[in-house]
Amino acid sequence: MGGQHELQVWAEDRLHADRAAKAAITDVLRIEAKYSRYREDSVTAAINRAAGGAAVAIDDETAALLRFGARCHALSGGRFDLTSGVLRGAWDFARQPSRIPTDDEIATALAKVGWERVEWSDRWVRLSRAGGMELDFGGIGKEYAADRVAAICMDHGIRHGFVNLGGDVRVIGTQVDGTPWRIGLRHPRRMQAVIGEVELCDAAVATSGDYERYFEADGRRYCHLLDALTGRPVDHWQSASVVAPLATLAGSWGTIAMLLGEAAVPFLRAQHADYLLVAADGTVSCGGAAFERARTNSLERATNQ
Amino acid sequence: MIAAALALPGILPANASAQAAPDEGVVALRYYDYRDWQPGASRMTVRSPTLYALVPLSDTTTLEGSLTHDAMSGASPLYHNTLSGASGLGVTDYRTAGDVKVTRYFDGNALALSAAYSDERDYTSRAASVEWRHFSDDRNRTYAIGFGAAHDRIDSSNGLATNKRRETFDLLLGVTQVLNPGALIESTLTWSQGRGYYSDPYKLLDQRPDRRHIVAWLTRYNQYVGRFDATLRLGYRYLHDSFGDQSHMLEAAWIQPLPRGLTVTPSVRYYTQSAADFYHDPPFPQGLVEGAPYTADTRLSAFGAVTLGLRVAKTFAGGTTADVAMNFYRQQSGWRIGGGGSPGLEEFSARWIEFGIEKRF
Repeated sequence: MGGQHELQVWAEDRLHADRAAKAAITDVLRIEAKYSRYREDSVTAAINRAAGGAAVAIDDETAALLRFGARCHALSGGRFDLTSGVLRGAWDFARQPSRIPTDDEIATALAKVGWERVEWSDRWVRLSRAGGMELDFGGIGKEYAADRVAAICMDHGIRHGFVNLGGDVRVIGTQVDGTPWRIGLRHPRRMQAVIGEVELCDAAVATSGDYERYFEADGRRYCHLLDALTGRPVDHWQSASVVAPLATLAGSWGTIAMLLGEAAVPFLRAQHADYLLVAADGTVSCGGAAFERARTNSLERATNQ
Repeated sequence: MIAAALALPGILPANASAQAAPDEGVVALRYYDYRDWQPGASRMTVRSPTLYALVPLSDTTTLEGSLTHDAMSGASPLYHNTLSGASGLGVTDYRTAGDVKVTRYFDGNALALSAAYSDERDYTSRAASVEWRHFSDDRNRTYAIGFGAAHDRIDSSNGLATNKRRETFDLLLGVTQVLNPGALIESTLTWSQGRGYYSDPYKLLDQRPDRRHIVAWLTRYNQYVGRFDATLRLGYRYLHDSFGDQSHMLEAAWIQPLPRGLTVTPSVRYYTQSAADFYHDPPFPQGLVEGAPYTADTRLSAFGAVTLGLRVAKTFAGGTTADVAMNFYRQQSGWRIGGGGSPGLEEFSARWIEFGIEKRF
């Protein structure tokens, strides 16, 4: 799990806070170890090694993550796909100088993508295609871990706190004084600025953007969010921030919104999600009560400038 | 989507599981094949396909419905074992039945409305019910209260019962409690109050009271057995019928998941009942008093019965489950516990086979 992580909990005494934080961090590391695609001994690696071969037995947790991934795949019309990680083989964002892959390279990578070629049940999973098909829980694992952290803290009696795993935030209760937690939303183009803020109690906000990993070529930005249908980066939105009861939902809805392009607004409305979308030209559109305030604040700032 | 997220383990405090509306649809097709017999005589055969579907209408509302068509054939109705074969007539009858149910999930509550209709040549039934369930804040306890009403109309093909009616009202109270992450107990009490025509027009001299009051108490206990990764399911039901008969039912099933998506479920059930007050032992029509209730229907005699079952299910990729189940039933008056069984009756056996395929999407 890359990125910066932060956990704040409020308890009656230091001992209780430490205990809760320790249990939560242990669980995040457990999820990281279990699902990391970089670790040889992870569940993900075991599934990927067996691609084209025998089915791999899985536990309830992995089955639930697969089920959730299946819902994301269905809801996004196939654009969100737990097997789309192999597209990174064609799109190398670390490469210097950067290079746009050829159509053939994209087609070769796309041939290894396809949720419909994942055979699975509550007890086993099998990638039906040999030769490089891969499963990657990266798209949902971090948000799932954030929700687990909140639940573990609450089980330890924590009533106020928040966890921020690489920009995906889940809050527990309110601040100690009873006011909502205020979460700033990063500006997709000005790295030190916020484009809005959101007030949360017992909820989550996640932001998906085109600025995390990208390269520019011929005046165009190519970001790391790749559409599993086309094998190409999305370019309709600069960022999508979504508020939901769970980080798992906020994160996946945000990613799906980025992937859906224009269809993101009706999609988010159908989920009853609150959202703040920044279009490619910088135009902000908001929906839902949580962002009413964000819009007002940014208008005030714009007026004052 | 929300349900899929809430199904992720450990994202709600204290491992509680939430009762959100199901957000995936189900289509299932089942085929049921029943046959019963007595020594030297094959009796009823029933074959029925059933189609079931569940459709989520929104995040909070689901619609369910099923459609069944039965084809029954055989030497039924039979008057009495002592007259075995005397009815002579082979009968083929068809029944078509359907039901719909709408469930709406509110914050911590669910309200379900359902309606059912069943039609065969000599019998029509219409029923409606409403059920309210309340989930505790920690989701570990569920209360249920239900009310149902049914209106039946009987027009026997032999002309003995024409335009006969029957009204039944049911009240249900239930509680389900999660005891720990591996154990769950459920207890349901049902009262049923009916008035109208209860006699069997195909059974000679059959005359039953026109009021019936039934109390049934069902308790189920499920225990996960970690050592075998299996679930033990136990059940007990006591039933008291104002016709005078009482019954006890005990059942046990072992649900054993195996590799490759297979699940094997062996089960055993024991049933014992006392006779109705107005049931009279053979020879027919011994004990008949003109004008008083009378029956020689063996289903109201005193007996014990054992059912052995085995179900094998396999889950395939993409949410498809197929299963086959085989059940054997044997009933003998001597198998009754707590008093002798009704004398003079031959043992009765049945078997039924079920095939099902279910797709979730």
